[in-house]
Amino acid sequence: MSILVASKIHKSYGNKFNRQEVLKGVDLTVQKGEFVSIMGASGSGKTTLLNVLSSIDRVSGGTIHIDGKEITGLKEKQLAEFRKNNLGFIFQDYNLLDTLTVKENILLPLSITKTPKSEAHNRFSKIAKELGIEELQDKYPNEISGGQKQRTSAARAFIHEPSIIFADEPTGALDSKSASDLLNKLSQLNVDRNTTIVMVTHDPVAASYCHRVVFIKDGQIFTQLNKGEQNRQDFFQDIMKTQGILGGVHDER
Amino acid sequence: MSVNQLIFRNLKKNIKHYFLYVFALIFSVSLYFSFVTLQYDPSMDEAKGSIKGAAAMQAASVLLVAIVSIFLVYANTIFIKRRGKEIGLFQLIGMTKNRIFRILSAENLLLYFGSLFIGIFIGFSFSKLFLMILIHITGVSDIATLQFSSEAFIQTLLVFMVIYLVIMFINFIFIKKQTILSLFQVTSSTENTIKKISIWEIVIGITGMIAIIAGYYISTKLFDGAFTSINELAFAMIAILMLVIIGTYFFYKGSITIVANINRKRKQGYLNINEVLSLSSIMFRMKSNSILLTIITTVSALAIGFLSLVYISYYSIEKTSEERVPNQFAFQDEKKANLFIEELTKKEIDFSKIAIPIIQVEMNIEDILLSKVKEANFEVKNQILPVISEKSMGVNISENEVLFTGYSTTLEKFMSFKDDGEVIVQTKDKSTSLTYIGLKNDIVIPFKYTAGGLPTVIVDDRLFEELNNNKKEKIQLASSVYTGIDLKDNDDIVAADDLFNSLKLEDLNNESRLSYVRNQMSIMGLIMFIVGFLGLTFLITSGCILYFKQMGEGEEEKYNYTILRKLGFTEEDLIRGIRGKQLFNFGIPLVIGLLHSYFAVRSGWFFFGTELWTPMIIVMGLYALLYSIFGMLSVAYYKKLIGESL
Repeated sequence: MSILVASKIHKSYGNKFNRQEVLKGVDLTVQKGEFVSIMGASGSGKTTLLNVLSSIDRVSGGTIHIDGKEITGLKEKQLAEFRKNNLGFIFQDYNLLDTLTVKENILLPLSITKTPKSEAHNRFSKIAKELGIEELQDKYPNEISGGQKQRTSAARAFIHEPSIIFADEPTGALDSKSASDLLNKLSQLNVDRNTTIVMVTHDPVAASYCHRVVFIKDGQIFTQLNKGEQNRQDFFQDIMKTQGILGGVHDER
Repeated sequence: MSVNQLIFRNLKKNIKHYFLYVFALIFSVSLYFSFVTLQYDPSMDEAKGSIKGAAAMQAASVLLVAIVSIFLVYANTIFIKRRGKEIGLFQLIGMTKNRIFRILSAENLLLYFGSLFIGIFIGFSFSKLFLMILIHITGVSDIATLQFSSEAFIQTLLVFMVIYLVIMFINFIFIKKQTILSLFQVTSSTENTIKKISIWEIVIGITGMIAIIAGYYISTKLFDGAFTSINELAFAMIAILMLVIIGTYFFYKGSITIVANINRKRKQGYLNINEVLSLSSIMFRMKSNSILLTIITTVSALAIGFLSLVYISYYSIEKTSEERVPNQFAFQDEKKANLFIEELTKKEIDFSKIAIPIIQVEMNIEDILLSKVKEANFEVKNQILPVISEKSMGVNISENEVLFTGYSTTLEKFMSFKDDGEVIVQTKDKSTSLTYIGLKNDIVIPFKYTAGGLPTVIVDDRLFEELNNNKKEKIQLASSVYTGIDLKDNDDIVAADDLFNSLKLEDLNNESRLSYVRNQMSIMGLIMFIVGFLGLTFLITSGCILYFKQMGEGEEEKYNYTILRKLGFTEEDLIRGIRGKQLFNFGIPLVIGLLHSYFAVRSGWFFFGTELWTPMIIVMGLYALLYSIFGMLSVAYYKKLIGESL
């Protein structure tokens, strides 16, 4: 069952005279329970794609369906409604409110949907245990490490059981130990909870944890790789090779 | 690009940024200028009345300069901090600090003096309005056209020139102290970072609340007879002031954080959007702004308190005039009374006349006093009271009874009577015991006879004659008969008053009530105008400061709004939360200020007039209303920020 269907997405910035097209007709389908990563060089449009898919930014053309619902035509208020019920977010710079404790940050999405209190506490203790951040619940974000912040952010993304989670460079600001720690946890949650995850990254190691890697170049899908039955090491080698072909900026001499 | 172009471009780019600064400037200048214009205007001479009035205006204008300059310096500090990055950038590309200072000064010069002239223009237009208000409340009726006063102009120019120099000096120090690095992080270093609540804070918070409550408690006891000597009274007042001010400071420093924290603990981490948005502001920022908030609260409390007291006296003029002048015309000198009567008859103005013989008698009133005031400074065993006959009042009192009437409300606070008891009347050679039957409210003889508000004693006519024959000459006043004249037709009052004045009958012992009321109105009106003007200035400046603070806070928190909107909170959700937050940010200082002034006014209002609630509620309501405008403005600003945040 496909949970996200995007077809012919166009996105351009600027005015009539100075128009820059960032996405030039992207088609993408994500199945339920899939862990997909989007890779590409900087400026290739991968973050724009994520923003558009996750309804934070609007498309200039094309349609996006999430869970069978078309989100491209929705009003601002309906979008907010949609986001709070169906989507979860993990960002590179954590996006935690530094005036709230870890627990308060994690419970935020439940407070928007007005989940009963006891239910909220049950869900919190479950996800906090899964991500190993129970001890931190009364600490403020400036008292914990980057890895812990990102796990907090992940807990916040999972707690309201969204149909899809968008992660924008979640390991970008982490050291390699914390990064692999986080990715292990994410894959674990992906399997245990059957949650769909779409992740943007430029790190091949991070991408190798996924089922499928989509490569973007100059606003279009360049190619896709499936992990299939390979182990992570082999998949990593594949990704490295493809990235080599993708090659970043061509030498213009 | 030349430096001049740079200045000009900067100015154009920053005008939006500086909008409020310019507003603050124009506003201060126009207030000051209109005040000084009034001060120098010849048509004000009558309203000013005396040298005292002029001196009051002078003192007020000095106070006004103080408020305005503190406000401008503060506003400037906020705005220069916001431009830290720009200054850092100039430094980074190799400009010297002196050069940057010169650019900023030039830029400021244009802004400052531009607004100065606009402010003077607006101020001049406003001074007409203020003059009209002043004439209305003082009752001084001849309106002269206002002249543009060059004296006022020069004085305004000079004052604001000095403030400009002060501001430049502060900017100079600011720029000198900065390094490129610190300039880039200027905004983040001004606020405390988030910390856990310490025991120390809990102690401070509890102390603060106890201090405030103790201060309030002492204030209710202040004139209750608990403090009898002047020294004790002064000590108690200073204690109240200290307790309340320190209490307020501690309250902002700790109490609010504690209360918010207890509330937060109760939620066990499950916060709704209102709590999320107001938390940081209430728990962390109020603490770091505690000095500023304490000053704002204390001075608003002072302003509201003074305004209420002055308005109470203004409001009660009619009532107090009755205490002083019980009839429309009151004479202690019979010759003057007869002259006036003669003239009234000639003019064919109908009137009624009463003549009340009065004797001063020593009495022992110890038995009817409520016990708590026994140690007060009154000779309760030998109290001299004015005595009149039942005939003068048209009531019937039996020979062994005594009725009191017309007790001043102020004195009643110190010395209240029981409902019944014995009064012993002493004359030259004997003393008579009489039954006290009660206290009536009617005032029948002027202030002078009652030693400033003591009750008048009414006795049986036969007893009155007896007392009159045996009176102690030593304690009698110069006049023993009071003559009161009331007009039959109230429309004649102006003509009669003119007659009274043209005969030059007025002195301390012979008064016309209308003249007295007019005189009081013009004095109290002027005081009220001055206090009101200062209060308004202070209200607006403190409102602006809180608003500026909120602007800065909003910009720092914009990032949070982005996060919250990404998570799925709608703009409406956030704005609702912001409303709650502003209710606290503006409401807490307002409510505390109102409470402080309420207790201050309540402790001593009876010295100023006869009515407490109506005037006090009018003043407080008006203050709260004007103040909340700034809260609403700040919500509008946040609305814009939230709209831009995603």
